[in-house]
Amino acid sequence: MLALPLLHLAATAADGSPPNALFGEANLRLLVHTLALAGGVLAGALTLAAPLAWLVTRTDLPARRLATLVGLLPLAVPGYLTAYALLALAGPASPLGVRLPRLEGYPGAWLALVLYTYPYLFLALRAGFARLDPALEEAARMLGHRPGSIFLRVVLPGLFPAIAGGGLLVVLHVFADFGVVSLMRYPTYSYAIYRELAGAYDTAAAAWLAMGLLTLVAPVLWLEARLGGPSSVHPSHRNPPRVRLGRARGLAQTLFLLVFAAGPGLPLVALLAWAGQARSALGPVAGALLRALEASLPATGLALLLALPLAYLGVRYRAGLERIAYLGFSIPPLVFGLAVATASLRFAPWLYQSVPLLVLAYAAYFLPEAVAPLKAGLARIPTRLEEASRTLGRGPLETGLRVLLPLLKPSLQTALVLVFLSGLKELPLTLLLAPPGFDTLALEVFTRAEEAQFAAAAPYALALFLAGGGMAGVLFLLEGKKR
Amino acid sequence: MVRILLLLLLTFSPAALAAREVVVYTGRSKALVEPLIQRFTAETGIRVRVRYGRDAQLLALLKAEGGRSPADLFWANAPGALLLAERRGLFAQLPKKVLARPSAFVPEKGDFVPLTLRLRTLAYNPQRVDPGILPRSILDLPRLAAFRGRIGWTPGYSSFQDFVSALRAERGEAAAYDWLRGMKALAPRAYTGNVAMLLDLASGRIDLALTNHYYVYQLKYGGPEGDFEGEDEEEESPPRGELPLALHPFAPGDPGNLALFTGAGVLKTARHPDAAQRLLAFLLAPEAQRFAAQRIHEYPVVAGVRTPAYMGPASRALTLAPRVNFAAFGDLEGTLRLLRSLDLF
Repeated sequence: MLALPLLHLAATAADGSPPNALFGEANLRLLVHTLALAGGVLAGALTLAAPLAWLVTRTDLPARRLATLVGLLPLAVPGYLTAYALLALAGPASPLGVRLPRLEGYPGAWLALVLYTYPYLFLALRAGFARLDPALEEAARMLGHRPGSIFLRVVLPGLFPAIAGGGLLVVLHVFADFGVVSLMRYPTYSYAIYRELAGAYDTAAAAWLAMGLLTLVAPVLWLEARLGGPSSVHPSHRNPPRVRLGRARGLAQTLFLLVFAAGPGLPLVALLAWAGQARSALGPVAGALLRALEASLPATGLALLLALPLAYLGVRYRAGLERIAYLGFSIPPLVFGLAVATASLRFAPWLYQSVPLLVLAYAAYFLPEAVAPLKAGLARIPTRLEEASRTLGRGPLETGLRVLLPLLKPSLQTALVLVFLSGLKELPLTLLLAPPGFDTLALEVFTRAEEAQFAAAAPYALALFLAGGGMAGVLFLLEGKKR
Repeated sequence: MVRILLLLLLTFSPAALAAREVVVYTGRSKALVEPLIQRFTAETGIRVRVRYGRDAQLLALLKAEGGRSPADLFWANAPGALLLAERRGLFAQLPKKVLARPSAFVPEKGDFVPLTLRLRTLAYNPQRVDPGILPRSILDLPRLAAFRGRIGWTPGYSSFQDFVSALRAERGEAAAYDWLRGMKALAPRAYTGNVAMLLDLASGRIDLALTNHYYVYQLKYGGPEGDFEGEDEEEESPPRGELPLALHPFAPGDPGNLALFTGAGVLKTARHPDAAQRLLAFLLAPEAQRFAAQRIHEYPVVAGVRTPAYMGPASRALTLAPRVNFAAFGDLEGTLRLLRSLDLF
């Protein structure tokens, strides 16, 4: 499933010669833009995500589960919608009634992408903090280490797998983003690919550029391998002591409020104002919601099923094997979708233009979003637990189900939310692979936003937000009641 | 008894069922297509299944599908895509009665029909710009040195590229090169989409924008929300927000007023060619053409269809537009080469 698109990519590229511009000055500029943006967004997202994750796992912050939900809600709003809302809020017909400054260029793209992608790191770090054994920190404290030193020498190394996994997803998202950078007028490498395909009708040139993007992804994957390898930290079986925030409580809550207001808050306010002017019936919205669920729910399950063995093999046996999951994600979705269509026409015509094919494509494409958190989770579980279980006569399957799965619960939760939300928002694959007429929420939102019919798009966008936020809410608000 | 059985067999045979359906691949937005499709189904009972995408993606998909394509009709958003589909030999010959409907822009081969028209235009912000100072020809636009950095354009967008193709064909390669270079000297702000550009125009971030006329009306008067207007409905959509956007038509016949058509053709591989032709005929009927004019703000291609007052009649739009040879839109490669040589694409 993942090799086919790659083969197709190579075959398409071989169809035409590399475009002259492949290594031209213009593309080099785009490459520099892409790297600068990815680096900046990664740093920004980490700076934002780390304190938020620490607050919800290690302090007595009130309503921590709600805060967790707030922290991941930006994932429930498509990036281009946020960008459109920011544009409209800066204009004379601002739905807020107040005109905000128009952000654009690097700062605009940076801010929009940091606010959109930091939840990947937030969720990864949250799971990372939760699995960190507080005994080590206590030991370090008794050995006379100061808090700063404890953080640098004990906590941070233990968080590396989480940072590497979440950070990789952030970087890949920046590489792939087209909606935000185009509305913010900061062209990156993905713009060049889009231009060849949509502007010049040249699939071969687009394939060459997509392969150029793959060469960009390779070093990032290597870096992730260096940082994210299994570490020897012991897992925690008890809850770490929570830091009393005291007076800083209010400050911490304000931080969450601010992040919410700037992240999903602004587009939500715009959407609610627009929805007030809309006159659409609920029926079509419900139909589009059902179709979106019909594709993304099974895809989420399938992605988790595929990711579990991959992550396990990658962590326990052959480090790096799980990285094949990232191959699809590193190809622009349009190119990936065309490859899946071609492969299906050749090898499984009965699957072509069916919902199951769409489900397969979603699962294959979003696999890394399931692999990354699972891998980070597995790396925290010592092998001796499995060995003990096997010594006690349990088979591998039973060991997996009764020993590993319960310990992996937070990682599974994260993986589920990430893949589900991505599936709900997905558009390019749906356009190419869904049966004609299978119009999902994401399509309904995009087609209207594109024609400047923001009021008509709003009910669909709100349904998207509620479905995504609702799923995340169920998972994160109800979790750990028994703790 | 036998006759009843035969009748039943005919009604439910695959062929009869198949005729009740048509599959459309369209590069147009669902928001612009859906109301028309619903009306067609209500009138004829023929079910329409639509795949939405961009012209280029759908052409790539049609190429991958080859003879196995389930599509019956390709409905494109731009002349460039239609001519490419024609060159690839995707379209089947259309019957005379369909070809006779449009008053212009019917290709010699008779393998696709135009469905609506949009005009290239110069949009300005009336709160910041006195239209009196705007030139009569788009070729004089590079002289507006005062607007350095305050003009928006979309070099990656198909309609803009079609305009450059027409300019090359009509005024020659050198004139097109000079114009692009002159514009580039004014440091225009490049956008990937028209809506973002016009939102910036309305908010005063730029003063002028080269765009398609209907985006401006869409933002000012709203889109095709709501139901298909019946035949007797004369009402026009009321203006909504007071967005400071206005159109500046160049002198009649100026290349800056270029008319671009959207259109569709029936595919050679169509499984339901008859139903697809019926859909084409429906889209060319006065009722559907009126919908396009009143709700999408595009100009009709058949004569005698009323347009909203603020748009002016289609006949006036066609007087403004330059006469351009069809073949001009076919040379996209040449246009892209020119744009690339100036580092604009």
